[in-house]
Amino acid sequence: MTGIPYGIYEGFLILLSVLSLLVLVVILTAIKKLGISKEMVTAIAKGGIQLFAIALVLNFLFTYDAWYILIWALLGMMVIIGGYTSAKRATDMPDAYSITTPSILTGGALVLIVLAITRAMPLYPQFIIPLAGMTFGNSMRICSICMERLISEVKQNKGEIETALSLGADSKMAVKNHADTSIRASLIPTLDNLKTLGIIFIPGAMAGLLMGGTDPILAAQYQIIVYLMIVGGGTISTIMATHLAKRKIFNEKEQLREWVYS
Amino acid sequence: MKNILEISGLKKSLEGTPVLKSVDLDVRLGEIMGLLGPSGSGKSTLLRCLNRIIEADSGNISYKGKDIKDYPPSELRKEVVLVPQESVMFSGTVFDNVSYGPSIDGYVDKKHILTCIEDAGLPSDFKDREAEKLSGGEKRRVALARALALKPEVLLLDEPTSGVDPKRKEKVEKSILNFSKKRDLTVLWVTHDVEQAKRISTKIANLRDGRIFRIYDSVDFHGGEAF
Repeated sequence: MTGIPYGIYEGFLILLSVLSLLVLVVILTAIKKLGISKEMVTAIAKGGIQLFAIALVLNFLFTYDAWYILIWALLGMMVIIGGYTSAKRATDMPDAYSITTPSILTGGALVLIVLAITRAMPLYPQFIIPLAGMTFGNSMRICSICMERLISEVKQNKGEIETALSLGADSKMAVKNHADTSIRASLIPTLDNLKTLGIIFIPGAMAGLLMGGTDPILAAQYQIIVYLMIVGGGTISTIMATHLAKRKIFNEKEQLREWVYS
Repeated sequence: MKNILEISGLKKSLEGTPVLKSVDLDVRLGEIMGLLGPSGSGKSTLLRCLNRIIEADSGNISYKGKDIKDYPPSELRKEVVLVPQESVMFSGTVFDNVSYGPSIDGYVDKKHILTCIEDAGLPSDFKDREAEKLSGGEKRRVALARALALKPEVLLLDEPTSGVDPKRKEKVEKSILNFSKKRDLTVLWVTHDVEQAKRISTKIANLRDGRIFRIYDSVDFHGGEAF
C-alpha cells in the first residue's frame, strides 16, 4: 500500500466525520467550564483555512512550469513573516526585526544550500517548500526563544555587565556569558526532542513519509536529515542574532542602551 | 600638585529628571577627596559619568589634561576605575574575579593578584573561595581587589563601606587608605557619612541638588552645613 488510500472528495467526508472529535472535546470543555471551547473551535477553523489556502498555492506551484520564479516570493514571505513574528518576542529591544530577519534568513538559507548541494533536497517544489518551511519556521522558533532569553538575561544582569565594562571589558566580552546562555537555552527543547526520537514519538516528517509508503529506513534517514537541518539552522540563526543584538544592547561608546534600564 | 580630573559644567538627566545640573570640580593627583551629599544628590551619577559607564548630556571632563571622549572607553575604564555600590561577583573563585581585568589583556601576574587580595584586607587563602558565596563585606573587599588588579590611576569608590558591619567599617577604611597611599592613587570617595568623610579625605566636596555646593578642607569641616 502506498499513500492515503482514498481520494480528495472521500477525504472531505472522512474529515467531516473526524470532526466529531472536535464536537466531543468542545462538549467536554464546556462541561468542565474550562472556558476554551470557543478558542478551540476558532483555532481549528483558522488553522484549517490556512492549511487549505497553502494547499491550493502548492497545488498551483506543483503544476506551474515557472515554479522556480514564484518560489522565491514564497521563500521571501516565509523569512519576512518569520522575522516579524520572532521580533514580537523582543518588544523591549527597539527595531529587533533588523536582527531576527537576517538571522533567520542566514541560518535557513545556509542549511538549504547544504541540503541542495548534498542532494538531500531534490530541487522540486514538493521538496523545497516543505523543507524551507521547516527550516525557516524552526529557525524562527529557536531565534524567538533566544531573543526573549537574551533580553531577560541582559536586563536582569545589567549590574554584572556594567561591572565587566567598568573593569575594561568590551561589549562583546561583557555580554558573552549571557549570549551563550541564551543560545543554549533556545536549543535545549530541540535537543531534548532529538534524544527521545523514536522512543516517545515518531516525528512529523517520518510519520508523513511512512504514511506515503516510504521504506521505514529511508524515512528514518530523512527524519535525521530534517533534525540536522533544524539544529543547524537554529544554531546559525541564534549565533548571528546574539552577534547582531550587541549593537542594540550597547552603543558605540560601550555603554548599555537606555532600554536596558527601563 | 596638578589636577588629574577637571570637571566643568557637567549635566546629566535620568529618565527626564535633571540629576547633575552643573558640576564643576577639580581633583588633584594623589588626592583623596570625599564626595559628600544626601541621597539623590547625584553622587553615584557623577562617578558613572567619570568613567563613561553613562554619558553626560553636556559639560566637559578631562583626565590628565585630555578630554575623556578622546580615550577609548575600555582604556579609560582601566585607568579610572569605578567600584560601584553593589559588589556584583562573577561566577568563579575570588582569584578569577580579581584577575578578570588583567585577563582581558591576556596576562595575569599571580603574585600581583595575591597582593591585591591581601591589600584589600582579605587573607590570601581566600583566593580559592567561591566569590558568589561570600558575605557582603567580603564581596566589597573582592570588588576593591578587582579594581586594584588593574593598577588604576584613579579609584572611584561608591559608598565602599555601605552595608559593612560598623565594627569593621574603620578596618575597611584603613585598608583603602593604606593601599591608596602605597600606590599613589587618586581617590574620589562617595559617602553620606560626615564622620567618615572627615576621617578618610583631605578635601570634601559637598554635592547638593546636582551641583558642587562647596569644597572644604577636611580639618575645617564640621558637617552641619553639608545637608
